[in-house]
Amino acid sequence: MTANPTEDDLRVIAEQVWSSYLDTDGSSPLLPVPPENGQIDVTASVSVTGAWRGHVLVSCSDAASRNAAAALLGIELDEVTDDDVADALGELANIIGGNVKSLLPEPCALSLPHVHVEGSSGRYPAATEVATLNGTWLDESVTVSVLESTADFAGVSTS
Amino acid sequence: MKILIADDSRVMRQIVTRTLRQAGYEGHDLVEASDGQEAYDMTIAEKPDLVLSDWNMPYLTGVEVLRQLRANGVKVPFGFVTSEGTPEMRQAAEAAGALFLVTKPFTAETFRDALDPILG
Repeated sequence: MTANPTEDDLRVIAEQVWSSYLDTDGSSPLLPVPPENGQIDVTASVSVTGAWRGHVLVSCSDAASRNAAAALLGIELDEVTDDDVADALGELANIIGGNVKSLLPEPCALSLPHVHVEGSSGRYPAATEVATLNGTWLDESVTVSVLESTADFAGVSTS
Repeated sequence: MKILIADDSRVMRQIVTRTLRQAGYEGHDLVEASDGQEAYDMTIAEKPDLVLSDWNMPYLTGVEVLRQLRANGVKVPFGFVTSEGTPEMRQAAEAAGALFLVTKPFTAETFRDALDPILG
């Protein structure tokens, strides 16, 4: 058994991402509490294969995803396109996933990100949630979670 | 100086561009590649003075780009900007000839530490 990432690990990683890119002036931090209305519209994920297998997910409301895209691209909110949202959320999953991977046993490989929209958060039936950070950003829902695969997919490669 | 920014995320290419400016590296000619193969091809065609490359990209990973460049005698200064910074990856990057590996998320200060020896 190896130690899985914890909620504290996710909070530290998320704080670094927010202070670097999404809250550079310190006025809109990711608060580590669930919002009143936990609406989830967009989920980006990266998969980890190798000595540890599972997924790292970043999920949020449509409004939070658009705010993230605007902040990352340095553009106005009304200029954000659906492609911008997919790219921004995918890159957030990549950055957070890469940092989570550094806590996992080697060797592991990280997949390119996948983004699910239109209310579907995707399904990961053969995986169990091992750590979750439920956060609120700009009064909107942002969740970071780590799922560990529970089945042995011998011969399946996602590299 | 011409700098090639290689990353499959347009968002990240934008962040790298912005961080270069915030770190004080203005007035350089920036060109972009959106996957590993394009990064290799543009390094050959555009002859940049520096390549800033993601690791995990479609078609060719960043370290595969670097190895192919070196195998073909291209000695361009090359650094990684990647979300992963395990000791194994740093070792692989150094062995392939990379000058540095900056991990995401990064700040202007991180960029200055890595780039001042080259651009400063």
